Amino acid sequence: MRLTVNGEQHDLHSPPLTSLLTALREELDITSPKAGCHQGGCGACTVLVDGEARRSCLLPLAAVDGAAITTLEGLGAADDLSNVQAAFDEHYAAQCGFCTSGFIMAATALIDRTPKASREEILAGLSGHVCRCTGYIKIVSAVEAAVGSPA
Amino acid sequence: MKAVGARLPRYDGVAHVTGQTQYVDDIRVRGTLWTKALRSPHANAAIKRLDTSKAEALSGVYAIVTHKDVPHNVYGHLEALGIPADEPLLAVDEVRYKGQPIAAVAAVDEDTAREAVDLIEIEYEERAAFFDIRKAMDPDWPNIHQWGPVYPHFGSYNHRRVRKGDIDAAFERADTIVEGVYRPQAIEHCPIEPQTALVVPEANGRLTIYSCTQAMYFSMGVVAAHLQWPLNKLKFVGGTVGGGFGGKVDTASETISALLALKAKRPVKWRWTREEEFLVSSTRAPWHMELADAVTSDGWILGRRMTTLHDAGAYARFSPYGVTKHAFHHTGAYTIPNVHFDGFVVFSNRVPTTAMRGFGVTSVSFAVETHMNRIAEVLGIDPLQLRLKNANRIGDTTPNRVVLKDPSTVPVVLAAADRVGYDLPAEYKSMTNARRSGDLLPEHLVAQLGEPEHSSNGGGR
Repeated sequence: MRLTVNGEQHDLHSPPLTSLLTALREELDITSPKAGCHQGGCGACTVLVDGEARRSCLLPLAAVDGAAITTLEGLGAADDLSNVQAAFDEHYAAQCGFCTSGFIMAATALIDRTPKASREEILAGLSGHVCRCTGYIKIVSAVEAAVGSPA
Repeated sequence: MKAVGARLPRYDGVAHVTGQTQYVDDIRVRGTLWTKALRSPHANAAIKRLDTSKAEALSGVYAIVTHKDVPHNVYGHLEALGIPADEPLLAVDEVRYKGQPIAAVAAVDEDTAREAVDLIEIEYEERAAFFDIRKAMDPDWPNIHQWGPVYPHFGSYNHRRVRKGDIDAAFERADTIVEGVYRPQAIEHCPIEPQTALVVPEANGRLTIYSCTQAMYFSMGVVAAHLQWPLNKLKFVGGTVGGGFGGKVDTASETISALLALKAKRPVKWRWTREEEFLVSSTRAPWHMELADAVTSDGWILGRRMTTLHDAGAYARFSPYGVTKHAFHHTGAYTIPNVHFDGFVVFSNRVPTTAMRGFGVTSVSFAVETHMNRIAEVLGIDPLQLRLKNANRIGDTTPNRVVLKDPSTVPVVLAAADRVGYDLPAEYKSMTNARRSGDLLPEHLVAQLGEPEHSSNGGGR
């Protein structure tokens, strides 16, 4: 199976029912998507599949053959953060950091689709993502700031 | 002091938002094996037979450990504080909680490890499980712990005691006795990063242990004790914790992974599933607290009798320490001159309980603050005025005889009232935490007053 991950093409050899999460982490060593629950419940493994936020733990590799995948590593680098990454940093939206990758990918997909997302749309867009540290307020503030900043 | 009140960048913020932070599960070591554990399906059972031979024969299995592979199996988390050992790392001839580990497998991948666990042959003789800690003192209590129903090593007592003043006189003088029972339940810490360890045997004979522990040196001690190794043969790498909240204080995955790595002579990773995290990892304890306060009709609390039952689960772990902290805080932020407190660490067949955010204190704070509201309701007194009247002040002594230097009850209650727009009479609004005098020093509070110790280092802390 062939995937484009963060702009690079890869031929994968994991069995077709391997989850995209396991293939990314164990075959490609792309570790920003996290294995928080392996059952679609926490959102920490969220990546973009052809621009759409998806739970990589629930996607068999066979179902995404040929897709373009973006993970957190494919957004901005440390000296060139994306708006969403910069907002998460500035607003202290990442505490332990384990859920952060999933939240940033979901927020990125949301803003791509809805550049002027309202607070309600942000809450809906982040629903199903679990953060145990922050109480969500700082995360929502960060996404609101990213919505308000020029692209 | 430029940092106070300033918005400083987090030192790890950019790494978090770029995916560069390395958690234990992100460390890549070639040839790493994966771990699965055989866990008890019963809350209380004898183990009649354990045979790992079929599992060992499975292709892809590198090592299986049982209690026979542990150099020092029974260890106590607080042995360094003089609390004796009671918990086996791997169960020997009985299991006392659902999910207790009995054996662990290291295999080429998780599926193979799981398959091997299924091939381990085990026979149990199920026993009645005990969960209702209120029945621990009943004569027909089932014998589930080698020490009996409660932890017996609080000095010469089987419970943590606090005694101060003359409790009987306080109850005789009281206008009213206000009673309450408070029972906060267990809470799972639920970090998004499940318990994970990676152990790498090094060529020099040492082990490198990548750990998500919240308590690095503590975990080093636990692993060293089980292995009977000197500390200098263990290199712990950690400090990056994907959420802990107290749930990663117990050393849960490092030791078993270390034994597997030594036996397999390969790097071994153990990443718990979410199901294991919820069902098997330690939780905050359920508590049962009974309070009776001797109060006057004008709102003074003369005395408190309190009995606490702390559900330790199947083994002691940190519970005696939690109950001690609980005992020291059992009057909360208030000054009660006569107290009689008994706190019991009760054993049950639930998963062992542990630290969580304010270990031992959150439970008693919940009881104390709810009870303050109850007293206010019974007496028909404003609940904030009741708190301010009985608040800790400079020179007051706590139940365990610490003389307070700078108690914050009064400023905190006043600030809270201000923030929510709660109107208080002028004499309450102007209160401070200054040493008691006048109306705030009734006869029953005179004897408890002490002199705050003067710091010998110029006031620094």
